[in-house]
Amino acid sequence: MADAKQVHPKRTLRLGKWVQPILGVVFAAFLLWRLYRILFVEHVYGPDTWVKFAISGLILGGVYAVIALGYTLVYGILFMINFAHGDVMMLGAYMGYFVLEGFKSANMLDWNWAGPLGAGIASALGASAEAATEAGAIASLVLAVLIAFVAGMGVSMLTAIGLERIAYRPLRRAPRLVPLISAIGASLFLENAAQLMFGATPRVYSNPTLIDRKAGWTLYVGGEWVSSPGVTAWQGKPVLLTYTGVITFVMSVVLMVVLYILVQRTRMGRAMRAVAEDKETAALMGIDIDRVIGNTFAISGLLAGAAGVLWGLHMGRLDPMIGFIPGLKAFTAAVLGGIGNVPGAMLGGLTLGILEAVGPGFLGMPFQLKDVLAFSTLVLVLIFRPRGILGEVLSEKKM
Amino acid sequence: MNIRATIRRGLLVGLVVLFIFVLGVTTLTGSIVQGWFKLDSGAAGAWLLLCGLALWNGATTVRRAACHSWKAALWNGLLAGAVPGLVVAAYTLATGALIAAGAPLREWLVQLTPEAIGLLTLGRPPLAAAGLLWAALAAAGLVGGLLGEWGARRHWGESIRRRGQAGRAAIVALPVVQKSVAFKYTRYILIGVGVVLLVIAPLFLGQYWTYTLGLVGIYVILGVGLNVVVGLAGLLDLGYVAFFAIGAYTVALLTAPTPHGIMMSFWLALPIGVALAATAGVLLGIPVLRMRGDYLAIVTLGFGEIIRILSTSDVLTTFTGGPRGVRNVGSPTLLGLDLSNYFYHLILLAIVLVVVLSTRLQNSRVGRAWMAMRDDEDVAQAMGIHVLKYKLLAFAIGASFAGLGGVLFASRNLFTGPDDHILLVSINVLCLVIVGGMGSIPGVVLGALVLKGLPEVLRELKDYRMLAFGTLLVVMMILRPEGLWPSKRRSLELRADDEAAAKPQPPTGAGP
Repeated sequence: MADAKQVHPKRTLRLGKWVQPILGVVFAAFLLWRLYRILFVEHVYGPDTWVKFAISGLILGGVYAVIALGYTLVYGILFMINFAHGDVMMLGAYMGYFVLEGFKSANMLDWNWAGPLGAGIASALGASAEAATEAGAIASLVLAVLIAFVAGMGVSMLTAIGLERIAYRPLRRAPRLVPLISAIGASLFLENAAQLMFGATPRVYSNPTLIDRKAGWTLYVGGEWVSSPGVTAWQGKPVLLTYTGVITFVMSVVLMVVLYILVQRTRMGRAMRAVAEDKETAALMGIDIDRVIGNTFAISGLLAGAAGVLWGLHMGRLDPMIGFIPGLKAFTAAVLGGIGNVPGAMLGGLTLGILEAVGPGFLGMPFQLKDVLAFSTLVLVLIFRPRGILGEVLSEKKM
Repeated sequence: MNIRATIRRGLLVGLVVLFIFVLGVTTLTGSIVQGWFKLDSGAAGAWLLLCGLALWNGATTVRRAACHSWKAALWNGLLAGAVPGLVVAAYTLATGALIAAGAPLREWLVQLTPEAIGLLTLGRPPLAAAGLLWAALAAAGLVGGLLGEWGARRHWGESIRRRGQAGRAAIVALPVVQKSVAFKYTRYILIGVGVVLLVIAPLFLGQYWTYTLGLVGIYVILGVGLNVVVGLAGLLDLGYVAFFAIGAYTVALLTAPTPHGIMMSFWLALPIGVALAATAGVLLGIPVLRMRGDYLAIVTLGFGEIIRILSTSDVLTTFTGGPRGVRNVGSPTLLGLDLSNYFYHLILLAIVLVVVLSTRLQNSRVGRAWMAMRDDEDVAQAMGIHVLKYKLLAFAIGASFAGLGGVLFASRNLFTGPDDHILLVSINVLCLVIVGGMGSIPGVVLGALVLKGLPEVLRELKDYRMLAFGTLLVVMMILRPEGLWPSKRRSLELRADDEAAAKPQPPTGAGP
């Protein structure tokens, strides 16, 4: 996709050619003023809080990026906003929840299943029983989380493939708003089906104890000299870096890299890029268009499922509507980075995540309004730079 | 005949049936049938639903396979019933055993209550019930297959179609019909009768149904407005509720005593609300209307969400009443007479106004410009249509109708709050416009009646309403994109597309 030519008419606001630069300068000046205020005048948040914000922004951004990849792939090929993508993610999150619940009710979530066997091996190797117990716990954790991921991704993949077959494939030649409306319908259907099946009451992910949502490494940032009688010591302010957060971020980066390699280096990726560029010519070259589009949806579903399980593990709370807002934001991220552009989706996701986490504090807004900030970003980006940061990668034909 | 295809199809139907189980549709059908026929339990309804599905699958499988022999039809039908039957039986066995073992199925899938399973097992042990179900479904499939084959031999489909056509022709040929079609005032007389019926409707409908009809009427106003934006100008606006909210909040803040105490007259607040909504439409439209069609949809959605979040947050509490909303919104009075008892008629009046306005616009130069723009923006521009100007006009008119709807809604309920202005309103209005037929005003009325009125009639379906809306949107887009009551022009366009689809052509967008 990166090789596509980028020939577009300029899609900028044409209210005189000075409006945009002036607005830009005013905005930049405002940001600088805020920076000055925060550094030298207001001391609302200490450095530890800013680090906290940045960490949660990066983690959130990682999830957004993984969801955004699904949007970007599908948009790159079909020029269609897969409105139901967030709900595909929600179904993946539910599946992961059920797997973890299953492990829990079978008492295997933290069960030392390697127990007797592990103890035997440990004694043979000369290790202590505690080490064996810990190894068993880690093994059961890895197994449970892995199965949760596989199941969640599988369900999401099947949903995405089914969606494409039922709701989008018959409409491939229709005017552009028709598949979008169909996608809105599919999204409504999935949300309400989930609500009927799983109930509207929120559920809480049961994480294995080792990766409890409150467990993690403690970093010490900033701090002050504390003098108690006799001793004066530097006491840092703790910032918790949760294991789930690290897992989320690492997973999202790994998924992104894998996807990039898949699109750029494999035969399937080449076929996908060819179809994105020109469907008719690709078909003449012997590419099975239906299969490539099916594959694209399958991949986007896999990514959405992974994002769903990550979301559940990290955020914990789950209800049938959780897909909607993250989906919208991830679409924002995809546009922000440049739609159709795989590295762009990553960049856009991280940018949006950090913006959302740091922005309210930076701009002095109440935190209730962080979604307003995200959606305003969407509106502003679409108005002033609809091609995104890295530029969109779409064939010129359908513009 | 193709046994493998039959089995595959049967498995697919089995999966659909499983989905139906976990959605709780069997329970729903059961309770509806129970209510209608005053039965002791819903089991009959559930079994009827399953057997009906097997029957249908048997018939369609045999018709698809074009068996041409009784023997093949028999086997195909049997399989078409037995394969889904096996899935259902396995399901019954598994869930029955799990329930008997005391597994908390309900905590995972809320529809799998012991009662729901009981509808299938009829109180028998799971194994017996499963066998019974399997036999019943296989028998139903068999009957369906034989019926399908019989129908194919007797050419039922064709004869029904022919009879329908003959019937229609006979009605058209009736002298009365011929004369009234020729008589040029028939249309006006029919419209007049309809209006009179609607005006006197509260006399025989009672309070509740008048209220419901009023709600339908408000949705008609919203639909007519969105129809201008989506149906005529081809701009997909998903944040339509924002303008509705602006109208509602304007009238509420200007006439209610609590947040500001302005206590203005309703009749003054009404035009202000409409004008503010239209202004908001223009202000939002100027930057966003140059975007691609699908980006426009997302931006308007984002705008609607921004308005909703702002109205639920505490930031604006002093100004809009925050999450608690605004109480005691003023109602209209005329010469000292409190009109709140005649709100239904006020809504009717507003509908007439809106419909006349939008019909006149549709058939004017402006309307033709919109439709030209919707069909091909570049060509429209080349023909000298100022695209942005007309888009802004469409946006402003749609927004002002939404504002009017919001004003009436808030004043009628004497209250408005953030919960009235959720995304679902936009989606509902969009659904009714699309289901009725984009660009067609009778379609909008029909859509509002079907989508807002029908769920009130069928109360059991309440939880399933949004599910049905979603399904309806997808199905309509695939089978009948022009809507239930399409405008003539639109259906011609969409049909022409179908014929042209045989040729390879790049799917050019309707959007900019």
